[in-house]
Amino acid sequence: MYKSILLAADGSNNSFRAAEETLNFINETAKVTILNVIQIEKSKDAILHGENTIQEQKVKLSDIIELYEENNVDYNVVFERGIPDETVVKVSNSGDYGIVILGNRGLNALQGMMMGSVSYKVAKRANIPVLIVK
Amino acid sequence: MIEKFKREWLTSPGTNIMAGIVVALALIPEAIAFSIIAGVDPMVGLYASFLIAVIISLVGGRPAMISAATGAVALLVVPLVREYGVEYLFAATILMGVIQIILGIFKVGKLLKFIPNSVMIGFVNALAIMIFMAQLQHIFGISFDTYIYVAITIAILYLLPKFLKKIPAPLVALVVLTACYIFFGAEVRTVGDLGSIEKSLPSFIIPDVPFTLETLKIIFPYSLSMAIVGLVESLLTARIVDNATDTYSSKNKESRGQGIANFVTGFFGGMGGCAMIGQSVINVKSGATTRLSTFTAGAVLMLLIIVFGDLVVQIPMPILAGIMVVVTISTFDWKTFKYMKAAPRTDVFVMLLTVGIILVTDNLAVGVIAGVFFSAIFFATKISKVKVTSKLTENHYIFLFEGQIFFASIDTMIEQIEFKQYDKDIRLDFSQAHLWDDSAVDAIDTMVRKFEDKGNTVYVDKLNADSRKIVKELSQLNEQHLT
Repeated sequence: MYKSILLAADGSNNSFRAAEETLNFINETAKVTILNVIQIEKSKDAILHGENTIQEQKVKLSDIIELYEENNVDYNVVFERGIPDETVVKVSNSGDYGIVILGNRGLNALQGMMMGSVSYKVAKRANIPVLIVK
Repeated sequence: MIEKFKREWLTSPGTNIMAGIVVALALIPEAIAFSIIAGVDPMVGLYASFLIAVIISLVGGRPAMISAATGAVALLVVPLVREYGVEYLFAATILMGVIQIILGIFKVGKLLKFIPNSVMIGFVNALAIMIFMAQLQHIFGISFDTYIYVAITIAILYLLPKFLKKIPAPLVALVVLTACYIFFGAEVRTVGDLGSIEKSLPSFIIPDVPFTLETLKIIFPYSLSMAIVGLVESLLTARIVDNATDTYSSKNKESRGQGIANFVTGFFGGMGGCAMIGQSVINVKSGATTRLSTFTAGAVLMLLIIVFGDLVVQIPMPILAGIMVVVTISTFDWKTFKYMKAAPRTDVFVMLLTVGIILVTDNLAVGVIAGVFFSAIFFATKISKVKVTSKLTENHYIFLFEGQIFFASIDTMIEQIEFKQYDKDIRLDFSQAHLWDDSAVDAIDTMVRKFEDKGNTVYVDKLNADSRKIVKELSQLNEQHLT
């Protein structure tokens, strides 16, 4: 069992499946950190359209949050701004987590076509065990 | 002080230098393309980008933001350069800097809050459309080879980042296709056909213009437009970088910094510039957080020109045009179409009006000012709607006021009141209203007097605290009117 689990989630169906899988890896003392990466380009929309990016991202993650609430999971949500793959790698390697779990395909259709590049990069460069959920 | 210097310059220097280099590479094609838009030698834009980036890194308000020669300013000066020549552009740039420094000292950064999102969206879209249109002459009706170069450039820019993230795709397109051209030749125009490159640092000059009132009259309207547009884009970019980095920056310091940068640049043969949204996003994405990244961007750009200047003149124009097409596509706010469906109609109107005026006048500043003007009028109209409803209870005749009562709304308010009441107990209920100025207080005095003339007893009821305060200060009503 891992004490501290990092779940990289963008709110897609794949990240929800990863969140479900996480339930198989935890006991009462385990803590799950949901990491959501906000892309830098989002800032332009935030300013031009007065969007509250964090609020929007929270809505996207609501299914996962609901799932964890129902299962009494000890979780917290962390938002980081940056490039998705690099940011997930950086947080994974911060030393605070025992394992990183993520779905294998994100929201970007074109990137998906070129195989789930975020999961590939994370698998290659993270220093902790990586679980890619199909 | 030293603490701040260390934080703003020396935090993770490696990452910031790398980010600066990436930006420098992306700046070169843009600086050349913007020079060509303005109708000046590529060196004017390259010198400007070098100087503005380096100076703003020292005196700007927003670390990690990139400023350089920009399309917004280049588009403004086209007629000036065409009619009077490049020396007038240098003079106009110096004056632009002076105006921005003055606006910065008078803390005009705060005024930018009054530019609504609708105008900003219009500004960004019009800018994208104009730069896009300016590229068409370099793409169509030249040669078959031109189309091929443009198509390959755009393909590289869209496809390459999917595989290769570290090296900027525009650089790859530039190097690979220029090499192709040098080795195999093609029927295309090159940068050299439109100007020359000097492999030297910029040197101090006094613009060669007559120092007369006549000159001032010519350049002042341009300088003012340049100053306004420069600040609008710079402060918009600063807010975006603030958001992207979760930090705050001084907008007045940035305004002054922009002024200093342009002032100095004019004396070294550069054209005016401002902050760039696209380049700043590239910089922050590459991990930049400090002033060192901006400094590096400017310095490396100059170094590359000095080393590779001979090759720069060989760059085929269609590559630059292709790069700029992609830049404009990412500059354009694609959420606009969703916005046009969802936003209030007056906002959409103001946005379209801003775009329309800019495209008709070729002047971004005029569009912004007109947009702000119209949105202010719409706002005043919307807010000056006061609703008055009356009802008769057992003992009283009650008028209920709803809305903002001020100089613009009192007429519509008074019109709704039926004054033909005699010997009644009248209550004016202001629980849903707010009184803003002495015109509002006057109007209430008038209403009370009119009712009292007809033998009514009048009470002014349920004023909120602010409204009660100005009534007490300005009104002739006495205590017994107020309940």
